[in-house]
Amino acid sequence: MSELESRLLKTGAERLALLGKHAERLMQGYTRDDVPLDGLNDSALRKLLAARLLWRPDEQSGVKLAPKVRELIAEMLADETRRHVNADVAETLELVRSLVHSYREARSRGEHWRQEQQLLRLRQEVDDLNGRFADAIDSLWQRLNSDFGFVSQLSDKIRENDRAQKQIVRLLDGLALIDFDELIALVGSDGSLRKLLISQLQQRLSHHYTSLREVQRRLIELMARFRKQQARSRLISGMVAFMREHPGFVPSNYAKRSDVPALFNHAAPLHAAAAPALDRALESRVLAELLHELPTPRHATQTLESAVPALTPEDSLAAARQQALKQDVERFYLAVLDQPPAKPISALAYLYDSQLDWPDEIWLFQVISEYQGLPRSEQQAFRLHQDESPASSFNDLRLIHDVALAVAV
Amino acid sequence: MIEHGPLLERLLAGEFVCAVSDDNAFRHLANEETRDAIDDYLRPLNRRLASNDEGSVYFLAWRQLNEAAREQLSRQLSDTVNSLLPLLEWLQLVQEALGRDTLAAPGDVLKPAEFSAKCEDNQSLRERLERLATDSFFGSQSDQLDAQVKQLFKRLKEHGYLLQPHTERQVFVVTGKIDYLIEVVRFIRDEENLPIDAEREEGAQEALL
Repeated sequence: MSELESRLLKTGAERLALLGKHAERLMQGYTRDDVPLDGLNDSALRKLLAARLLWRPDEQSGVKLAPKVRELIAEMLADETRRHVNADVAETLELVRSLVHSYREARSRGEHWRQEQQLLRLRQEVDDLNGRFADAIDSLWQRLNSDFGFVSQLSDKIRENDRAQKQIVRLLDGLALIDFDELIALVGSDGSLRKLLISQLQQRLSHHYTSLREVQRRLIELMARFRKQQARSRLISGMVAFMREHPGFVPSNYAKRSDVPALFNHAAPLHAAAAPALDRALESRVLAELLHELPTPRHATQTLESAVPALTPEDSLAAARQQALKQDVERFYLAVLDQPPAKPISALAYLYDSQLDWPDEIWLFQVISEYQGLPRSEQQAFRLHQDESPASSFNDLRLIHDVALAVAV
Repeated sequence: MIEHGPLLERLLAGEFVCAVSDDNAFRHLANEETRDAIDDYLRPLNRRLASNDEGSVYFLAWRQLNEAAREQLSRQLSDTVNSLLPLLEWLQLVQEALGRDTLAAPGDVLKPAEFSAKCEDNQSLRERLERLATDSFFGSQSDQLDAQVKQLFKRLKEHGYLLQPHTERQVFVVTGKIDYLIEVVRFIRDEENLPIDAEREEGAQEALL
């Protein structure tokens, strides 16, 4: 191992270790504007700047993450909002050309070691190129498969989809730059170069090409869906706004046009009704069987009496009281009939004597209403005298104090 | 024709048949021969098979438009126009309440419980729901949020915009009739030259509201 190579290894490893050592700080820089510097000493900061992990745009501004580090993090996290797609084919091709020339030079001079080195660099460049395409395609699929779920608004999704489609166009343009006729001429008859730059590369690139075309097709489909959804949302919100502004809006009657629009020609419902028919002997037997198979109702048929409107307990209680009052009054009438004719009995006196607990007023009311409820012929058998007086000298309202009932002579 | 009996009954009853409401029938209807056979069958009933522009939902149309048919279509059109605003407001409310970036589309699953919960937490959604539920189209008599939501879903189911796959489960699926509704809106916009510009930015539309 040469001294140069060992120094390169040492420095590279030291600087890579910085990534781990300052991982949290760098991630904070990834999510914010600047990398927070509190608690970081000068020498550590100098090392980070020297390793080009950080950079400072100018003296006044804060320290920022280097673009390559940002890209690396985005790649590692598959952070689709920030992942870059950049195949940069033209520069790689330039490099490949010059590496091939210098490889052939070394071979013609018999510099075996240099030849090996150039071939290694060529392999790395070709791998990188492949890797960049593979990464880009992976990033595109990720975005497609998540329906651009990393942004929430439909308009953002449309923009992201648009951006992805432009990236595909650039990637396809990049692929088109690779001219295999030129590469064939360039590698000539060298077997290892031919294998590397022609057969392997061609196979991989054609694979990338197919993938890109497929992603492109799917993105366009998705875009059409997005646009349709967007147009729908706009149409609906526009119509709602319009109808709110014009509450009396009525479209013309499309049904009266000579040519009714297809959308509004929706025929009236027609129910395909059917009833059991007994006009076919064969079927009547089937119907009879069906009838027998009808499940018996789970509940017994309700009797007519129980089907009267429900009475609340209070109602039935009041009715019972009413009935008792009526019977007591009837007994009073019978008592009057037992008396010698023309001898009146005071209703209140009877009430107190019989020790009935009806309020006076209710009792009198029932006695009077019983009298008025009698058929006229029976009414004539009694004589009802009302003991009454005016409410006051100015009010001719008559107050009944008692009634006396006697058998008419 | 026998195998299409149930489908014919549904169509004759005035239903809209889509991939959500009857996947099997919808696939049969994609076949032109089946459609022709159904059309032949419907001829004596003065009906024919029709679909929306997109072909995502099928329904029956009058074959010959007589005076009675036109009367019925006029009444139907007026019903449609009257139900338009509450239906569209419902679509917007669902989209906002559930935090979706698109309007409900055929096949989308809606859960009344989720919808209620979102409206409960947000006064403005709650008020809009209340206003919508008491609209004569939805006709809720209740002032309870859950009952209002229930009524909303019930009416939408009755009108064929939603489907409830299991009666005992409160989960609904949006049917293709929504596509039909949106085409109706588009048609009215174009036909009446309404100042609704589909290309206008969404922000401008919101500012209008």
